[in-house]
Amino acid sequence: MSLDSVDKVLDFAIAKEEEAAQFYNDLAVKMGRKGMKEVFEGFAREEMGHMAKLMAVKEGKQLHASGAKVMDLKIGETVSDVQPSGDLSYQQALIIAMKAEKAAFKLYLDLAGTTDDPALKELFLSLAQEEAKHKLRFEIEYDDEILTEN
Amino acid sequence: MSDKPKRKPLDLRRREMPKQAPEVRSHNFNEVALGYTAQTAVEEAKRCIQCPKPKCVSNCPVEINIPGFIKCIAEGNFAEGARVLKDKNCLPAVCGRVCPQEEQCEETCVLVKKEGQIAVGRLERFLADWEAAQGELEIPPMELPTGKKVAVVGGGPAGLTVAGDLIKLGHKVTIFEALHKMGGVLIYGIPEFRLPKAIVSREVEYLGSLGVEIVTDFVVGKTRKIDSLLDEYDAIFIGSGAGLPWFMDIPGENLNGVYSANEYLTRMNLMKGFSFPEYHTPIKSHKRVAVMGGGNVAMDCARTALRLGAEARIMYRRSKQELPARLEEIENAEEEGVIFEFLTLPLRYIGNENGWVKEIECLRMELGEPDSSGRRRPIPVEGSNFTLPMDAVICAIGNSPNPLIASTTPGLEMGKKGNIEADEETGQTSRERIWAGGDIVTGAATVILAMGAGRKAARSIHEYLCTH
Ligand SMILES: Cc1cc2nc3c(=O)[nH]c(=O)nc-3n(C[C@H](O)[C@H](O)[C@H](O)COP(=O)(O)OP(=O)(O)OC[C@H]3O[C@@H](n4cnc5c(N)ncnc54)[C@H](O)[C@@H]3O)c2cc1C
Repeated sequence: MSLDSVDKVLDFAIAKEEEAAQFYNDLAVKMGRKGMKEVFEGFAREEMGHMAKLMAVKEGKQLHASGAKVMDLKIGETVSDVQPSGDLSYQQALIIAMKAEKAAFKLYLDLAGTTDDPALKELFLSLAQEEAKHKLRFEIEYDDEILTEN
Repeated sequence: MSDKPKRKPLDLRRREMPKQAPEVRSHNFNEVALGYTAQTAVEEAKRCIQCPKPKCVSNCPVEINIPGFIKCIAEGNFAEGARVLKDKNCLPAVCGRVCPQEEQCEETCVLVKKEGQIAVGRLERFLADWEAAQGELEIPPMELPTGKKVAVVGGGPAGLTVAGDLIKLGHKVTIFEALHKMGGVLIYGIPEFRLPKAIVSREVEYLGSLGVEIVTDFVVGKTRKIDSLLDEYDAIFIGSGAGLPWFMDIPGENLNGVYSANEYLTRMNLMKGFSFPEYHTPIKSHKRVAVMGGGNVAMDCARTALRLGAEARIMYRRSKQELPARLEEIENAEEEGVIFEFLTLPLRYIGNENGWVKEIECLRMELGEPDSSGRRRPIPVEGSNFTLPMDAVICAIGNSPNPLIASTTPGLEMGKKGNIEADEETGQTSRERIWAGGDIVTGAATVILAMGAGRKAARSIHEYLCTH
């Protein structure tokens, strides 16, 4: 699919959020422990929330990138990759989520670089900023819950 | 002019506790703090103004009658003081040494802004040590045997408290401990120079003298599962702690010379790694040791490494104000010569050709603007990378509960961090006849909180045993 219209870009982004929700739901099913099942189900719900927000944008609501830069704690960049297999710990779950949001952020930033259409560029940048906010949310949780003594 | 001798004005300042000099103690494992003499203890106790509504008591997790035992000290009645203290705290010699009093009882002392808060911890320690020095510990009144049997999993502060409370109520209690020694973190984690092991052993022996059966080298979940123990015991308390170390998940963590704090401290405290060949588990002597983290565990690791002759460095992502360790231990570490690298994040450990760590690549951090919670979070300073030569790294960023027991006990519900879920007031878990408390429920916390949880669970278990 070529992303040459606002609608197509939004459809693409909505599909990405749905895919992410599915990914977390699949992980939730694989978890042996109730606590971790709930963590991934929670992540999936958040992705569905993002999806609903984008659907509202498609229906006519605005998505504006605010001028302010989203704080980047860069925790996701310093930790090693986690293979999403077997029973995962809470720490591993947060790493997976931080990295996924980072990858999505990068994707939209790269896409913004591929178009000269100002409206599309603005949309891609807004989407990138949304993903940066999602990453920050997981980084803050990692900072508060895992790096308590660091 | 009157010839009446002038009375010396009362010195109202908080009494200091003598310590070994930093240059001396940094070369030995003996206890750093030396304790009050009887005279100093009485002087300190006399400063207490005996508030009618003492905030120190409400800020103590086990609600010790603090003004009560302090009054006894002021009157020189140490035996009664020890009784008042032990009414609520079965490990006073331990708590007097390791409790974060500055955040609890002492924080709310009304004298804090005047001549300095009453040194509750030091007085607690004084009484406990005084009692121990008298020889035989007093055996408390015991209830008649009930014929009920309770298994306690784990011999840390939570398990010891439950065992102590239930045996006095007439129940038969057996503690199953995975290691070869009882005491939990008090034995294998907190070093001798902060908490002499003889003190912990004395408390364990005391439980033995009350009739608690102690089984060591017994890993519940492996040697025998909880459900199998339930066939034999009427109730089970799980106090298995939070012994699963977290790592930072950065490259190089598998290199030789990279330890978890647990491994490092266990080798030193429990296996006496520094006394090779007297003990059989030597630890490599290191020259430059980096400890990741800023909590009590990190301070203990750095100060242990220092005592073994290394240059010890604490590496912490945030600034000095945010250090989570007890203030006293931070000051002790600084005095002894531990180097602090604040606002520093290790990025990776680099190894030599033999697979041993040889240096660390780090990044400097700065504190960002306060976020919605008001916290200033550390943010990397772009391009500030630097390396430091290092031949050992100890990761002390935190621990989580070991999932072994929960994963081998069907129906026992666990939280997201691998903790067992239990009622805050009773310790009751999702399974009938099973209670839990201490770090296995809360995640790594404090000795006094583990004891408090043990006390509540013991009460609930007793109620259950009396009605079933
Ligand atoms: C290095 C260090 C320094 C600390 N400093 C302080 C301090 O200054 N002040 C403070 O208040 N707190 C401090 N803490 C925290 C405090 O020690 C703990 O919160 C407290 O010990 C928790 O008590 P617990 O009984 O829940 O668990 P633990 O003390 O961890 O005891 C659990 C016991 O259960 C055993 N066990 C585990 N699994 C099994 C099994 N499957 N079968 C049988 N037995 C099992 C373990 O071997 C252990 O002996 C420190 C912790 C560490 C590691």
